[in-house]
Amino acid sequence: MNRRKLLSLLGMSPVLLTGTSVQAQHTEKKAPVSKNSSQGKLTAVNPKGTPPSIQLIPMAPRLDGLDAKTVYLVDTGFHGSDTLLHQVEAWFARNMPQVTIVFRRKAGPYSEDDPKLWKEIKEKGNAVIMAVGH
Amino acid sequence: MVTKAFKELAILNAAKRGMPHERICFTPHPVWGKTADELRVYVDGPDPVSGKPLMKEVVDGLTVPLSDDEKKTGMVSVSVGPPTFTDTADNLQDYYLNNGYTDFLPIILPTEEKVDAMLKGTSHHPDEVVGKMAAGAYPAWSYTVKQVAASAVMSGARPEYFPIILAIASSGIASLFSSTNSFAFAMIVNGPIRDKLEMNYGIGALGPFAQANATLGRAWTLLSKNLGNGGIPGDTYLGSLGNNLNYNNVVIAENEEASPWPPFHVQRGFKPEENVVSLFRGLGVVPGQVARGSSVNESPQFDYQMSDLFSTFTGFFGALIIADPLVAVRLKEQGYDTKEKLIAWLYKNTTQTVKDYKGRNYSYLFEYPQALQGREPFATWYKLPDDAVIPHFPRPESFNIVVTGGQTNAYPQAGNLSYGVSVSIDKWM
Repeated sequence: MNRRKLLSLLGMSPVLLTGTSVQAQHTEKKAPVSKNSSQGKLTAVNPKGTPPSIQLIPMAPRLDGLDAKTVYLVDTGFHGSDTLLHQVEAWFARNMPQVTIVFRRKAGPYSEDDPKLWKEIKEKGNAVIMAVGH
Repeated sequence: MVTKAFKELAILNAAKRGMPHERICFTPHPVWGKTADELRVYVDGPDPVSGKPLMKEVVDGLTVPLSDDEKKTGMVSVSVGPPTFTDTADNLQDYYLNNGYTDFLPIILPTEEKVDAMLKGTSHHPDEVVGKMAAGAYPAWSYTVKQVAASAVMSGARPEYFPIILAIASSGIASLFSSTNSFAFAMIVNGPIRDKLEMNYGIGALGPFAQANATLGRAWTLLSKNLGNGGIPGDTYLGSLGNNLNYNNVVIAENEEASPWPPFHVQRGFKPEENVVSLFRGLGVVPGQVARGSSVNESPQFDYQMSDLFSTFTGFFGALIIADPLVAVRLKEQGYDTKEKLIAWLYKNTTQTVKDYKGRNYSYLFEYPQALQGREPFATWYKLPDDAVIPHFPRPESFNIVVTGGQTNAYPQAGNLSYGVSVSIDKWM
């Protein structure tokens, strides 16, 4: 399933893909044609809760290249993420040795924030790649 | 960089947080258990979603200038459809099922009449906001009394059950959680409301033998789907195997009258006459009659039996002992005249070696990171030699005990379940 179709499941894709600040369409599946025309019609309540509005966040400007740049590799702590990222590190050493790679394991369990690391990356890094294994 | 199995999760969660065009590249799945050489093949190979070389995607993701879409700001509201639907009963059943509003069993249609009747089960205004719920690390959804009532009707609950359902909803705890671990959930109901609703805490207490027990648990799952947006496979639900207990959860009305100990809610600071629901989360429930200590002699050792039962549990979650009154009474006769004494014995005598502890999945995922931060007892445990013996659970509070059942035999069960919260039902009457 492509990204456009996936986002349509959220009931917000038309807006997220093409515009802002308007009500997105709901994309529920249609009910089938009545199997029993003798049945009377009922009105039933929509049981869904109320989703929060979404504040679109502009993505960070991209770099004009990676030469002489510092890229952080952040391991979130899932099994295998560290081994995977060390292979990414090795790939950069083989193919783009002019890039400085810094490996860090995010502090705490994967669900916890690590503001100290984010601060360090903002101060010393130019880019970050996060990896989630399993 | 995410493994392919979590494509939907990664894209949708980024979108819900305001970045629908987040640059995500994918590796084959899984990476867990793969050698460095195997993962080098992943890194040197293609992104299995786009088909393009993975590391080219990585470099492009960092260097290709942003598109106009990627620079967008502003607020987007998300619709969940109209407030009501009108059609024949058959079509509405199909519609609710096909749109993920149900647990794939037939429902009681939440007609306006039935929802109005359900609303008579509480004094609270239909438009009052009850709380917020998320099925994991997602932005939480909010909901009103009326929205809770719709799912309550769908579950088959009667209006007099509604205060319990509102109390559960007010906790914000969803019984469907996004983890790949296929979590299970449990509730304990205490107080006079058990009898008022004719809840079963006798023979077959955990089985399908009373309307209140059956529908309260089912309602929790429907709330989690409809109010917390949980239970969407690939998006808000990732449990690899799933969990059969999610159909109606583990509903326990405590047999307070037959228990030799104070009821669970009193331990949590409530008065005996108060009505309270207490919620638990974890991995599931196992039978206890096969554990060591369940010998055929005249003196079954339930304390040893429970300790043995816990040997495969993760200490990350707690141990909820579900004791038939015959078990509880026997334990009291053995000297455990309080739950606290039994818990102290279990904490001390349920042990493991450090080697076994470090080899456990949850230790690495959740407790090793805490050990690195100096949090106890994990920091100390990770410094000990492999043959050192340590408690199986990090603290005595990991244990909880509830008594229920019909006294046809002295069998316990136990849940690898952690206590979450106790909520007043009376506040929602």
